[in-house]
Amino acid sequence: MKNSLLLAALMAVAGATLAAPVQHIEFWTFSMKPRFTPYFEGVVKRYEAANPGVKLEWVDFPWDIIQTKLVTRIVAGKPPALVNLNVPWAEEFARDGLLTPVDSLLGAERSRYLPSALKDLSFGGKTYGFPMYSNVAVIAYNREIFRAAGIAHAPRNLDEQLAFARQIALRTGKAGLCPALSKVDGLMLQQGLPVLAGGRAVFNSPAHVAFVRKLAETYRAGGLLKDGLFAEDNFPPAVEAYKSGRLGMLLAPPTALKRIQADARDVYAITDVAPAPLGPTGIADGGWLIHFGVPARVPAADLPGIGKFARFLTSDANQLEFARQASVFPASAQAANDPFFTAVPPDAGASEKAVAAGAVSMPHSRTMYVAGIEDYDELRRALVKAVEAGVTGRADIQQALDAAVAIWNRKLEVAR
Amino acid sequence: MKKTAQYLLLAAIALLCIFPFWWTLVTALSTEGNIFSYPPTFWPKQPSLENFVEVFRVIPIWAFLKNSVLITAFTVLWKLVLCSMAAYPLARLHFKGKKLVFGLIVATMVLPSEVNFLVNFITVTELGLVDTYSGVILPNVVNAVAILLLKQAFEEVPQDLVDAARVDGASEWTIFTKIMLPLIAPWLATVGILTAVEAWNEYIWPSIVMSKPDEFPLSVGVLYLRGTFGSSTRVIAAGTIITIVPTLAAFLFTQRYFMRGMDGAVK
Amino acid sequence: MKRSVAAWLFLAPALLLLAVFAFWPVLFGSVLAFTDFSLVPETHWVGFDNFRYIFNNEMFVTGLKNSLVFLLIVPCVQLGAIALAVMVNNQLPGIKLFRAAYYVPVVTTVSVVGIMWGFMFHEQGALNYILGTHIGWLQDDTFALAAIMFVTLWRGLGWYMVMYLAALQSVPQEMQEAAILDGASRWQRFWHITVPMLRPTIMVCTILSVLGALKAYQEVDVLTQGGPMNSTFTALYYAYDQGLKHLKLPRALAASFIVSLICIGIALLCLRYLKPKHR
Repeated sequence: MKNSLLLAALMAVAGATLAAPVQHIEFWTFSMKPRFTPYFEGVVKRYEAANPGVKLEWVDFPWDIIQTKLVTRIVAGKPPALVNLNVPWAEEFARDGLLTPVDSLLGAERSRYLPSALKDLSFGGKTYGFPMYSNVAVIAYNREIFRAAGIAHAPRNLDEQLAFARQIALRTGKAGLCPALSKVDGLMLQQGLPVLAGGRAVFNSPAHVAFVRKLAETYRAGGLLKDGLFAEDNFPPAVEAYKSGRLGMLLAPPTALKRIQADARDVYAITDVAPAPLGPTGIADGGWLIHFGVPARVPAADLPGIGKFARFLTSDANQLEFARQASVFPASAQAANDPFFTAVPPDAGASEKAVAAGAVSMPHSRTMYVAGIEDYDELRRALVKAVEAGVTGRADIQQALDAAVAIWNRKLEVAR
Repeated sequence: MKKTAQYLLLAAIALLCIFPFWWTLVTALSTEGNIFSYPPTFWPKQPSLENFVEVFRVIPIWAFLKNSVLITAFTVLWKLVLCSMAAYPLARLHFKGKKLVFGLIVATMVLPSEVNFLVNFITVTELGLVDTYSGVILPNVVNAVAILLLKQAFEEVPQDLVDAARVDGASEWTIFTKIMLPLIAPWLATVGILTAVEAWNEYIWPSIVMSKPDEFPLSVGVLYLRGTFGSSTRVIAAGTIITIVPTLAAFLFTQRYFMRGMDGAVK
Repeated sequence: MKRSVAAWLFLAPALLLLAVFAFWPVLFGSVLAFTDFSLVPETHWVGFDNFRYIFNNEMFVTGLKNSLVFLLIVPCVQLGAIALAVMVNNQLPGIKLFRAAYYVPVVTTVSVVGIMWGFMFHEQGALNYILGTHIGWLQDDTFALAAIMFVTLWRGLGWYMVMYLAALQSVPQEMQEAAILDGASRWQRFWHITVPMLRPTIMVCTILSVLGALKAYQEVDVLTQGGPMNSTFTALYYAYDQGLKHLKLPRALAASFIVSLICIGIALLCLRYLKPKHR
């Protein structure tokens, strides 16, 4: 009798150990090696130590390869458990049914994350990712140029930015601002000007025309930097101009300040920083959220384990640590309020002030882009070309916008 | 004098062909200046191997090399086996439907095969061959050009040898393996080498089939390296040099096979 | 065993592989181009919808246009290769080295070629250094396509040179010698003897070159990934991009269907009107 009890107990134990399968979780990051190898290896080690039944595999891909790899793995039916994505990609994949919603996996821990980040990841009423980090823009401005132009404080909204730019051009002959007009769609959205409504393009309304007119006037007055104003990537010419003292204000993420510090000490010394102005929508400029999504076709049985790891990966402590190493901002509320971001040391240079300024804007940061359209680039370019024609005075603003709206609506009809 | 002009012209064009390799080598050996700066020099100022060391530290180059070697070796093996088996009956045997089969094979040369990768990917997925060497190798193993080249080779074997063997009662397989194959050995070598180069250099198909960096062959790995190092040009250059060296070395030793392969293709 | 049975056994494995990987994709791909095949389990027939979409799409239309522009390479490569072949068709000392040098670009992987030329075309790269300019060759949509075409030309020269060299070397010496005896000048000999003998090779090479130009896409993937501003898309690169980055398979297959049609059409035209000499 005792023997059989012992035997049963033994079998139960053996059964329990045998029945505990090792869960294998593969997660992908993009462009984190080699700089953040120690960080992620640390995360893996700590989680595996605390969770013996789990085996983690960390794979890193350069950003230009990761899309293809994800798609091919989903088609093959063996997707990774978690994949690093940016918001426009996530929106497209979610729309095409290539991502799994994670509301149930976020569960009670939802409130840990910044509401704006979660909003970025909500498509069709479901949330599709675990926010990890974000960037936000700050305004760096050249104190000398401001003083020469008689400007006393940092601009508080777009109108002031443009007015200051005109004043700078008038009084000092230098350019004041170099907005990234190749992303004018995002700018319009931030200013509360809708680009699409009801599936049709609506950016030729009087409000939009007025907006472009303001840009055109500033351009005519010499307030907008001509180099690279409409280039796909206008950051290099803008930062070059700022470093050589030809530009009064620079809208950039705080990491840019480090570059200015390294390459142009004299300009850095006279640089001050303020949070980027919020638009009438209360949204800060330059938001770019990076998160972890769960691809489609992940076995449902694995989801709880994946959720647990994802929550660990994006925990307050981990987000804080990563943000400090990478000079970006965490997307969780507690980490964002850490003194590292909010406290400004007394001898702070522009770089440190930028971090604090950015932290102020973070809760208001949203990734601004036009969602829901296939092959969106084509349409964006039509809009950018129209705005360029209007701003540089080559065409009448209303006509240029009307023509672009017509192109958009024609394409949207076909694609419907 | 005319000869000098000729040599100069030839040298100029040769320079154009070789220059990018030289530039990459110089970049790989340079160490001066900011890590992101571009040294526009034709000779490294402070040459060192530190970029190469960095490549080996961060990127699984040995894994890439192993994958390239294995994929190439098996591709060559199977290609020679299967294509010679296919070429033999076309060259030396008579059977019903020979014209049809021949026509089909030539037809694949006309069909633009580059467009097939999409459906082939689906097929490979259905067969469960994603992330396997087989998935990479199988679609490339049979190729009309190889079959035609080998067919030509078989046609040149003197008939008397075959007749004698048949009289002795040898089976087709024996004739094939003991007489035919040995006699066309130089052609097998040529096809083998051309195949090896093609397999070693292929990058699109392996990049589609293999999804983990450890499984990439060198041709794909070098792009992974470029992406990982972003703007550290010198390290990328070092990795590129590591990739090229085996190919160039092999090429220099086996040039004449390429030229001969073209001869056959021309005919 | 009967010889014909043996024949079929020999052929079987190769034919099977060809059926699966060469013929099936053509059939299945063509059919799928008319459906809305995706990860969703149900697939429907949609007729010409995918074709309508791609012809309305700037990326594909630009791609088709660029594929046609690529054809400009063909005469350059062919003439260059013939000229090179003529120049190296001798026994001068060191000529083998030159031939090898010209062939090196051919045996180098496209990915490596792309990386190296990426360095050369960089704003602070070799080309700008030599020309004293400061142009982002691959970032400026005026130059990017030309830059890619140049790389394709660079890679192709050696390959065709070897073909022409082989053809030149099979020109019988006696004809040349007889012509010299008759007092023909070098140019006359070239034009009236060499070129006619080269004609079949020129034909074959031109067709291959044309087809190659229409199907170009690997250089695009490695150098610019279709940018800047979609100006370097080619028709097949569109298929690759749509199919493997966005999983829009039916559209990608529709695009490749169009490319296949064009290629087959050209091949058939050439075979019909310019029948090559048969041996």
